[in-house]
Amino acid sequence: MKIPYFPGCTLHSRAKGLDSSTRASLAALGVELNELPQWTCCGTVFPLALDNYMGMVAAARILANSSREGGGKLATVCSFCYHVLKRVNHAIKHNEEVRQKLNTYLEENYTGEVQVLHPLEICRQEVGLEVIKEKAANSLKGLKVACYYGCMLVRPAAEMQFDDPENPSIMEEIFSALGAEVVDYPHKTACCGSYQILHDSGLVKQKAQEILGSAASKGAEVMVTSCPLCQFNLDALRESYPELPRIPVVYFTQLLGIALSLPEESLGLQEHYVDARPLLLGRRG
Amino acid sequence: MAEEKMVSIYIMGKQYKVPYGLTIMKAMEYAGYRFIRGCGCRGGFCGACGTVYRKPGDFRLKVGLACQTMVEDGMHLTQIPFYPANKATYNLEELTPTLGTLLTLYPEMTRCLGCNSCTRICPQELSVMDYMAAAQRGDIEKVAHMSFECIMCGLCASRCPAEIVQYNVALLCRRLYGRHIAPRAQHLAKRVEEIKAGKFDEEIEKLMKMSKEELQKLYNARDIEP
Amino acid sequence: MVQQDIASYIYQISGQNPFLCMQCGTCTASCTGREAMDFPPRTVMRMLQMGNLAVLDLKSIWVCSTCLICTARCPRGIDIARLMEALRVINLRRGREVLVAEKIPPELLLKVPQMALTSGFRKLSA
Repeated sequence: MKIPYFPGCTLHSRAKGLDSSTRASLAALGVELNELPQWTCCGTVFPLALDNYMGMVAAARILANSSREGGGKLATVCSFCYHVLKRVNHAIKHNEEVRQKLNTYLEENYTGEVQVLHPLEICRQEVGLEVIKEKAANSLKGLKVACYYGCMLVRPAAEMQFDDPENPSIMEEIFSALGAEVVDYPHKTACCGSYQILHDSGLVKQKAQEILGSAASKGAEVMVTSCPLCQFNLDALRESYPELPRIPVVYFTQLLGIALSLPEESLGLQEHYVDARPLLLGRRG
Repeated sequence: MAEEKMVSIYIMGKQYKVPYGLTIMKAMEYAGYRFIRGCGCRGGFCGACGTVYRKPGDFRLKVGLACQTMVEDGMHLTQIPFYPANKATYNLEELTPTLGTLLTLYPEMTRCLGCNSCTRICPQELSVMDYMAAAQRGDIEKVAHMSFECIMCGLCASRCPAEIVQYNVALLCRRLYGRHIAPRAQHLAKRVEEIKAGKFDEEIEKLMKMSKEELQKLYNARDIEP
Repeated sequence: MVQQDIASYIYQISGQNPFLCMQCGTCTASCTGREAMDFPPRTVMRMLQMGNLAVLDLKSIWVCSTCLICTARCPRGIDIARLMEALRVINLRRGREVLVAEKIPPELLLKVPQMALTSGFRKLSA
């Protein structure tokens, strides 16, 4: 199965491990991601002012370009990219005015027909949990995993249509299927403070304490996320604040890659501040 | 007969009758303008004479170099020879060819909205938006190649709603590429060694002693690259 | 500063009606940035209902991380995140910003995922 793929800016530079582990783990599950030939930044945030059409143009162009690739699908893994592409697509499809305005900026007509897919959805719907189990059942046996969704994947539920916005379970299903012991903790859809890292890093530090502390108190050994900014805020901040809980924070695709026994160089685990390699590398078959 | 060969153009809103077939630059000079700035090579290379214009019945802005674009009847135009663009100062030797360098010197480049105004305005028909996308990913080599034909006219910056100075970001990338990424020319180092070792001293000595006539003869008979 | 009634101006930009708010405080209880705010979202809603223009000068509107948890949980169905965005937008369109590109610490620029810069600029800089 081949799916057009939008990596996003950060995955080509400061979160290369998310890019390489996504490609490698999906490839191991029989899904080939084909990077779009030409792409720009998606815009990262969905504009919430009703008259801000310009904030949607880049995402609209990416969607239009992906529809040209055929197949009617577009995969993207970064939570911000996924959020923006999905919401802009929804707006184009359901809002006549948005559709008309955006199309005057595009080089071709686009009406919202592409289905934006997250690799988590690809794992569950396109590949299937049974296949994942077959490939790597029990490889994560006993590992205590905290699945962290953050804000952008699940909200707003009506537009994202991703999972239950208060208690999503798609990551838990996948890692349970691989034998991991997923921990239940109350902060899995809490926000890490996001771009406030540039404006009020004290707030982000406090959120990191709450989220990591909550997962640690439930015995989590590793936290997984799909967002480079969550990963940065929860992990790299510990360089400045050593008192924060030291649970490794990795991308879910990296843990999936461990379960699938992928080679170390395709995972990019060396990018993180708190090293997850001592905990994880030995688990590969 | 002579009447038919004249066209009406509007320079900064004022109407002038100018002969058909002139470039915008020649037409402006015909109309009485004298270029002290906003005019350089007159050959379409230097980028000094960026001009924006509109044609009747079309709301879209068009661009061209005044020295290369022909006047048309009803054209409204103005030259934008200079744009007060942000330009970082740096010592190239001290920089590393990384995304961090780009972001430190031009953090505003991440404000790009993806509106494509820069690409549409570029008189060199470069994919400006796409090279800026590469810059945001830290792909310096790609920016250097994609922006190679930039003539620094500044029209992209004049149109950017995010106030990015695309051509200066691209210049930085080409410099970083040339200094830190592209492989060093081995033959150059070799030749410098040869010069230092005195391999050409004798030849120079010979030239120094030649008369002007001899030198002229030699110069005219030199190998010329096709 | 604002020529018209603030609630209707906000409605024009966000499509959200602050008078639907019944002051239950679910937004405040859920809010990511509440500890860093001068007034939490419930109070912001109340200030809008009262037509208090001081709402435009609050720190609260800038420490909102648009995580949408208020929107997701509001029992009255108000998209509070859009409303907070409208308060920012009114400021930003007048050139009032809190994130100034030149003032971001260089050590952050060397490390932070560039998505933080793009999103921060879009939400917090004019």
